[in-house]
Amino acid sequence: MKQILMIAAIIIVMTAGLASSGPGDSIKSIDLPDVKTVLADGPGKDTSEKFCNLCHSLDYITMQPRFSRVQWTGTVNKMIKTFGAPISDEDAKVIINYLATAYGNGK
Amino acid sequence: MTIRDLTRRDFLKTTGAITAAAALGGLPTDLFASGPRMATFPEKRELILMTSRPPQLETPMHIFKELITPNDALFVRWHLANIPTYVDMKEWRLKIGGNVEKELQLSMDDLKGYEKISYTAVIQCAGNSRSFFEPRVAGGQWGHGAMGNVTWTGVRLKDIMQKAGIKAGSVDLAFNGLDSAPLPKVPDFVKSLPVDKALEDDIMVAFEMNGKPLTMLNGFPARLIVPGWYATYWVKSLSDITVTTKVFEEFWMKPAYRIPDNDCGCVPPGATPKKTVPINKMTTRSFVINPSDGTTLSKGKLIELMGIAFSGGHSIRDVIVSVDGGKTWGEAKLGQDKGKYSWIQWFYPWKPEMTGSYTIMCRATNAIGDSQAIEKLWNPAGYLLNSVEKITITIS
Repeated sequence: MKQILMIAAIIIVMTAGLASSGPGDSIKSIDLPDVKTVLADGPGKDTSEKFCNLCHSLDYITMQPRFSRVQWTGTVNKMIKTFGAPISDEDAKVIINYLATAYGNGK
Repeated sequence: MTIRDLTRRDFLKTTGAITAAAALGGLPTDLFASGPRMATFPEKRELILMTSRPPQLETPMHIFKELITPNDALFVRWHLANIPTYVDMKEWRLKIGGNVEKELQLSMDDLKGYEKISYTAVIQCAGNSRSFFEPRVAGGQWGHGAMGNVTWTGVRLKDIMQKAGIKAGSVDLAFNGLDSAPLPKVPDFVKSLPVDKALEDDIMVAFEMNGKPLTMLNGFPARLIVPGWYATYWVKSLSDITVTTKVFEEFWMKPAYRIPDNDCGCVPPGATPKKTVPINKMTTRSFVINPSDGTTLSKGKLIELMGIAFSGGHSIRDVIVSVDGGKTWGEAKLGQDKGKYSWIQWFYPWKPEMTGSYTIMCRATNAIGDSQAIEKLWNPAGYLLNSVEKITITIS
């Protein structure tokens, strides 16, 4: 019995050895799922989706607590000034207005 | 679960919530108020979905009944949209450069040539529990599940750096990973540690979690482990270590990931700190894990109240438990000690003799006397929260 186990072990080791030296075995890869987040309807939704999606999924918006217009303005400005989002002043106004309305706290 | 199922179900959940909210005549504060949105990512079981690109996944609390958090249940947090999804180990090298005697380019085999070390350590996101801040703050809206307790195996950073030879005049070690920014102006995610901290014995370059290679989403093939400190420093899919001759103050060190420069790391709610420092050691925390919040249990039956406690690299001295909302406290029995970086389980058998609602609380104190306040602290970025946690259960 011991001998059989030993032989089995040797075969497993050999097979593993062969497998790891085969082509492609040095590669590890994953496929990320495509998760969709639907934003609330409202004026400026398309513009917001277009620009926010450049860097991150839209659940970054939906997970936030409801913010005031001042807070949303700060967030959008941070995306532009700190992270270099290519958003014009005009589009920024549209996005801030959308967020403050659809995801705002009324303040 | 297939990708198609996931997408479809999430879509249904999302639109369902919107429809429900629309029917009530307003839009939801939280689109997923009916329960957390769940998703299954590669090498992961179904977890709470914070964000999908980049992936941020939270561990459900019931998982923490286990002393060791399984790899497929450990939370995920990335900063930049371009995360590594493909690594060829024939190509991968850990590069050591900057102010060193000898630059190194280590393959995984080279890395494994150093003396192997292993320990169990709590990994906790700096923003863990941010959604419980009052008033609320912007950022990843984590519950308590951006944490886990994992046995890490790897090699000492110190040993690698000894081989490279840190030259005189060095200040920081900067750590970069394989993730990259979606737009050119987005700052790359690079973190740093002062030389003295980086050369501590326990700082590890890990290539295994719980005896298996790191999952891709937790930083395959190797990541930094800074036990006792928040996971923002535990750079994933590590590719470059650069020794600097100046304080490293790129975006993710300054202004990001800073705490007020005072004893509590806090300011009055809404205030702006006068001076900040990089976030560092974890605060002392404890949680009630069993039973779960909101459970209904029977009168006269013994309940094994159970939870966990940990602190920033100091053993837990004791955990006290209250079943009457903090009026009286009793000492819990502590479980297996897996070292000062691990969490420890606590147990408190309790037989409720009267029906009604009970508020159960726990409070840990560590070896140097750090404990947990009843009142919540506050800071603008939503870090360090460690107030006493409470759950409410019903006895019928």
